[in-house]
Amino acid sequence: MAVVPFGLPLDGVRVLELGGYVSAPYCGRLLADYGADVVKIEPPGAGDEARRMGPFASDDPHPEKSIPFLYLNTNKRGITLDVETVAGAGLLDRLLQSTDVLVENCPPDARPSCLDPDALGERNPHLIVTSITPFGQTGPYRDFAATDIVTTAISGLMYHSGDSDQEPLRNALNQSFYVAGINAAVATSAALFQRMFTGRGQAIDVSTVECLASHLVQALPYYNYMGAIKGRRPVRGSGFEELMPARDGYVIPSVQGSQPWSTVAELIGVPELQDERFASGSGRIEFGEEIHDLLLQGLAQWDRKALHQASGERRLVFGMAQDAGDLHECPHLHEREFFRAVSHPVAGEADYPSMGPRLSGVEYEVRRHAPLLGQHNGEIYGEELGCSGAELAQLRALGAI
Amino acid sequence: MTTPERSLPLDGIRVVDLSRVFAMPYCGAYLADLGAEVIKIDTHHNQFVDTTRTLNGPYPDNDPGELYWERGGTFQTLNHGKISVTLDLRSDDALEVLRELVSISDVVLENFTPRVMRRFGLDYPNLKAVRPDLIMVSNTGYGHSGPWTNFGAMATALEPTHGTGAFMGYLDVDTDGRTSPGTVPNKIANSYTDFLASWTAQLAVLVSLIHRAKTGRGMWIDLAMYQVGASFLGEGILDYAFNGRRARRLGNRHESMSPHGCYPCQGNDQWAVIAVRDDADWRALCDAIGTPELASDPRFADPVTRHGNQDALDEIISGWTSSRTKYEVMTVLQNAGVPAGPVLDGRDMLSDPQFRDRGYFERVDHHPKTGLGRREYLTRGWRMSGSDVRIRKPAPMLGEDNGHILSDLLGLTDTRIADLEAAEAIGQTLVGARIPASVPLDRQVELGWTVDYDMDYPSHPPG
Repeated sequence: MAVVPFGLPLDGVRVLELGGYVSAPYCGRLLADYGADVVKIEPPGAGDEARRMGPFASDDPHPEKSIPFLYLNTNKRGITLDVETVAGAGLLDRLLQSTDVLVENCPPDARPSCLDPDALGERNPHLIVTSITPFGQTGPYRDFAATDIVTTAISGLMYHSGDSDQEPLRNALNQSFYVAGINAAVATSAALFQRMFTGRGQAIDVSTVECLASHLVQALPYYNYMGAIKGRRPVRGSGFEELMPARDGYVIPSVQGSQPWSTVAELIGVPELQDERFASGSGRIEFGEEIHDLLLQGLAQWDRKALHQASGERRLVFGMAQDAGDLHECPHLHEREFFRAVSHPVAGEADYPSMGPRLSGVEYEVRRHAPLLGQHNGEIYGEELGCSGAELAQLRALGAI
Repeated sequence: MTTPERSLPLDGIRVVDLSRVFAMPYCGAYLADLGAEVIKIDTHHNQFVDTTRTLNGPYPDNDPGELYWERGGTFQTLNHGKISVTLDLRSDDALEVLRELVSISDVVLENFTPRVMRRFGLDYPNLKAVRPDLIMVSNTGYGHSGPWTNFGAMATALEPTHGTGAFMGYLDVDTDGRTSPGTVPNKIANSYTDFLASWTAQLAVLVSLIHRAKTGRGMWIDLAMYQVGASFLGEGILDYAFNGRRARRLGNRHESMSPHGCYPCQGNDQWAVIAVRDDADWRALCDAIGTPELASDPRFADPVTRHGNQDALDEIISGWTSSRTKYEVMTVLQNAGVPAGPVLDGRDMLSDPQFRDRGYFERVDHHPKTGLGRREYLTRGWRMSGSDVRIRKPAPMLGEDNGHILSDLLGLTDTRIADLEAAEAIGQTLVGARIPASVPLDRQVELGWTVDYDMDYPSHPPG
């Protein structure tokens, strides 16, 4: 890695991303957001399967207009390469000579021979190879087929999502693969840091199911500390810490934080709630139904955003259910410069959500829109790898790029 | 400067963990697994103690016991691998000790509100003065700028605020039993946002360590959980930007796959999920469940007709699953190459062959005083071939390492330590607290907090 006095934390780190859909691309995007030069490899012709995943910009199912693809691949360059061909595997080998990290999410039983981790490590001892799969590279489920609902179910998270009187509920928007993607970026960064001292790369085996299972810091000890099986949210109870209807949508009234019950009751505005019986946790359990009814009455007088604002001003921690429009127009997110205008030659211009955290002195930028299929073939194969025009034409004819 | 003996990524890195509750303490535990020395700043004064020591449980056999602040299973999970020093930050001398500790540390984790950190003089500008290349994570609900900056937040209420409820919820069902997209938001629950914040903080700390090694610069990380949560739902927010779509609640169904859902199985609250991606999966499923004729039923002939007839389809699939166990459903369908799996609860996970085969749970031996014995803990979703990343010790007892940290590490004189003790600024027994009441398990079942319980549960399954 080159020494750069300032700039982005991962300036000078070269990442090859050989994977599709969500998990490997999200890992790649996070590394790219922190400054890595991420080159995305797509199969010639069809490209990343996320290109066929809706919704699409203007609801037009075009491979350059998939919204998940556009979101997951900003700040990357893109090339096409068929690593199953001999010529393609040769090119990959050349690319790897100047690569620090290879991120891939091929199914273990369909992994191209050029991705054999032992062979890769032997030829490129400096290389970090991060492999993301639904179940990991070992174990009896290794080769099982999975989509997001399957990984969420086996992770244990789904059993605990939804209402206890209905079936377990799938989580929002492929979350299991996003969680796998960020965990992969964590392990990759740990390996990059270690490599600064040892000079050696290593292989990282990421299991989507295990990444999500790591969220269950309550449900697991519930069993191996006291034999109890924690379930989904109870449908009875006071209604605090749950989604409850307000005048224009749903809110979450909360007694958490450090304010007394009287402050909570006063905010909700129903005088009968100012009752000593309700002031303790055990009281709110015992008189749950009574509180629930009073809470419904009070919340019916409130709009979501007004209640959230009033709660914050009183140092309470109420929440509200916001939709995509609320978030896109949220004044707080705008003041924190969460949205960045990105112009894409096919999909058009839109304000994209950016990074979660803000780092001091690090100017986050969308440096590139998601790459068009094969957009940087000339730049990378020609200028960086030094392939001649004739060589490139031959690779095209062989179907390698 | 190659030192191949650095066997763990964070060997030699010291972390001061001022944080409480879930998100940042868990980040600290992972940094400890990666080799860092993580010092938990505890207090023995109940009103300021990390509430996971006192409020969360669960306790062994549902019995908090005398030393309940050492015995909570959730606390243990979130704080493994750390050492503990107690410092009552209301004391100026304790604050000075903390500053001395920061001056010999690399990373600080904290999740106080901006107001509190400034009041204690522990905000980044002040700590940077004692450690110029400090890396510090400040985790808050809404961040250190913007109109909501001073709002407090807890993950349970924050989760729908950052939008998950727009993209999950049960289907609406009309009086004739016909389904349509849901209008009522639901939740992932399990403090979802805390974990997104934890993963985000780990990544930010690691890239900042890389940056520091190259440039000598420290870093302040302003981590707003609200904003982090929104970034995980970016594709949904971007759909609004392009198409004006505000919400998509499909229950357990999918935009294009069908059948796709969660189906009842044999037993109490037992479920399996199935996702049919394409026609090949559909034909394989029809054969596997012994009804090959379904594949030629015109209602289900292609993805479009199947998608339009999901109510009928789900009834047929439920008819097959409901007389089978959830594991049978997985085995039969996975053998046919169809994505399917059991919906695992906590008990199932601890004995599931995939988790066990990969060694996902790690055993920890606890101090005899805690009465916790040997237990297993969930770990992390990744393995590194070249680094022995694992849980190295249980969560620390309150002030367990006061001697080591104050004398050995900081070189405080005995007099100064005695003064801290006399001022009640340090201590190892929680004061101002009572043994928490425990709700009996049969009452917990009544209240809907737990589904069921086993009296003869194994704290660590054999094998």
